[in-house]
Amino acid sequence: MRDATQTRQTIPDMNLNTNMTVNRITDEIWEIPMSEKPDMLVPARIYATKGILQAMDSGVFDQLTNVACLPGIRRYALCMPDGHWGYGFPIGGVAAFDVQDGIISPGGVGYDINCGMRLIRTDLTLADVQPRLEQLMTELFRKVPAGVGASGFVRLSREEFRRVMTHGARWCVERGYGWHRDLVRMEEGGCIEGADPSIVTDHAIQRGINQLGTLGSGNHYLEVQVVSNDRIFDPVTAAALGITGHEQIVVMVHCGSRGFGHQVASDYLKMFEKSMRRYGISVKDQQLACAPFRSPEGQEYFSAMNCAANTAFANRQVITHQIREAFAEVFGRSAEALGMELVYDVAHNIAKIERYPEGDLVVHRKGATRAFGPGSPELPEAFRQTGQPVICGGSMETGSYLLVGTDHAVRDTFGSTMHGAGRTMSRAQAKRRVRGIQLQQQMKQRGILVKAVSMSGLAEEAGLAYKDISEVVESVDRAGITKKVAELRPIGNIKG
Amino acid sequence: MAWTFRFLEEIALADIGFEAEGESIEEVFQGATQALLESMANPSTVSDEWEREIERTDADQSALLFDWLSDVVYWKDAAGVVFREAPLTLTREGEVWLLRARLIGAPVDQQTQELHADVKGITKHLYELKQAGNRWKVRVVLDV
Repeated sequence: MRDATQTRQTIPDMNLNTNMTVNRITDEIWEIPMSEKPDMLVPARIYATKGILQAMDSGVFDQLTNVACLPGIRRYALCMPDGHWGYGFPIGGVAAFDVQDGIISPGGVGYDINCGMRLIRTDLTLADVQPRLEQLMTELFRKVPAGVGASGFVRLSREEFRRVMTHGARWCVERGYGWHRDLVRMEEGGCIEGADPSIVTDHAIQRGINQLGTLGSGNHYLEVQVVSNDRIFDPVTAAALGITGHEQIVVMVHCGSRGFGHQVASDYLKMFEKSMRRYGISVKDQQLACAPFRSPEGQEYFSAMNCAANTAFANRQVITHQIREAFAEVFGRSAEALGMELVYDVAHNIAKIERYPEGDLVVHRKGATRAFGPGSPELPEAFRQTGQPVICGGSMETGSYLLVGTDHAVRDTFGSTMHGAGRTMSRAQAKRRVRGIQLQQQMKQRGILVKAVSMSGLAEEAGLAYKDISEVVESVDRAGITKKVAELRPIGNIKG
Repeated sequence: MAWTFRFLEEIALADIGFEAEGESIEEVFQGATQALLESMANPSTVSDEWEREIERTDADQSALLFDWLSDVVYWKDAAGVVFREAPLTLTREGEVWLLRARLIGAPVDQQTQELHADVKGITKHLYELKQAGNRWKVRVVLDV
């Protein structure tokens, strides 16, 4: 790993999808200087290998430098190697704003507030699961609703839904949808303080009240995966996290706060568009609408966002309950007997107050994961030796990774790293290249059983539409902001 | 039917972008609405057992279209439905534009309907409604 403070070096003829000057800091860190756009308050930094940087779309450079112009930003506007064109902020974007003179922006969090990843281990092996894979995937598909407009099995009164907003995954454990020890293995214990349901709109409640325990669609999924010995890179850390290899079965979940969070984001983007004028803030893209963090509007959004974040923790916890039930039914043993412990649950669309040398900052992560190292006092005892687990979902064809955070991430990237493979191709392009039914058959031949609500949605998520996750992971590993623990190979996938 | 729409390939990689156009402002509303309905499900596979009448006014046509499309996304989740059609009219009422629409569809049914993407929201990213010559055009990016 190289020191990120080494001398800047301008490399001509980089063949990038931008005319901006991009200086090499190290082989994995690239910097766009403040001179590249009027009003940039800090430089922009991209974490990527040269190959990944060269393939990045023009939107990343433009959007990241727009973020660097936002009031109160500190140090750098950052983009991780899985970054790509989003709206407002790029996907893969990280930006930290001073709590006193900085802003908070729903566009820096995304519509799917606390979209995140969860990994569950088991004591089962591929040999145990393979003969019953079809039955298992059918049961999981039945128990975990996916796709457009799907509703979950949990029926809530408005009062109870408000309790979900304030208690997150704790509400689930109280209701029997999880084990108390699950809570230790979640970012913020699955419950972020400061959620105020009284400021959430009726529209948001109405959109989300029936969706607890549902996956959604797009790139959201539930995946049954295998961990082989030869794909464990750090056996000691892996073992500490319950990953033992020997063709071990694990289950990964990727989803967020569903319609509730989407409506919270929509409501506050609209509010901020109007209130920005009052605060004299102008932005280079309407999707960067923001408010001073200390303003009434900023505090209101932060509170509503925390309601949605807690709902997302609860959503993934209810899904976990359903996964455990499905495994117990198919294998005829309790989930506890099957060793179905949570490895970790981590957000990758969120804004949080964290303390850095600059002071208390509102760290926005949009398609980026918190990656605190072993020394971080915020981590529970379970992760003080290992560092915080980081779960990165690849495409459904290529596999995913378990990583751990490092103290370098805390020093260099506001404790942040990548979240997934990152797209290289639009949904429309992917659908022209492959048909859903054809892809499903091809994957079955390769040993990956896919259950999908939408065949067009399946085609949009084909592996060819994504970057090579191994190269993306190498970027952050070599940059030192996360360390590889294990690669997880898919054998069954449920998509909306 | 003089409106058209097309999905865009080169923008917003993880999301869905489309352009709709028509000879009148009303037609561009109809084209954008159809593009949104088709983003969520194939309308021809959806029956007409659910219906909601919606009226909205706004002095700004662009804001009116944005809010109307957001209404469609809201009802998808709030009622758990997808849509067959959404006939609408747009008229000038003094200082404001009046949208009258009927949102027609059915509860989600994975067995009978061809379902597409679960749209999270209508974004303002690259959002633009404009008149070019005698045609109206809008560009919309959906977060999915």
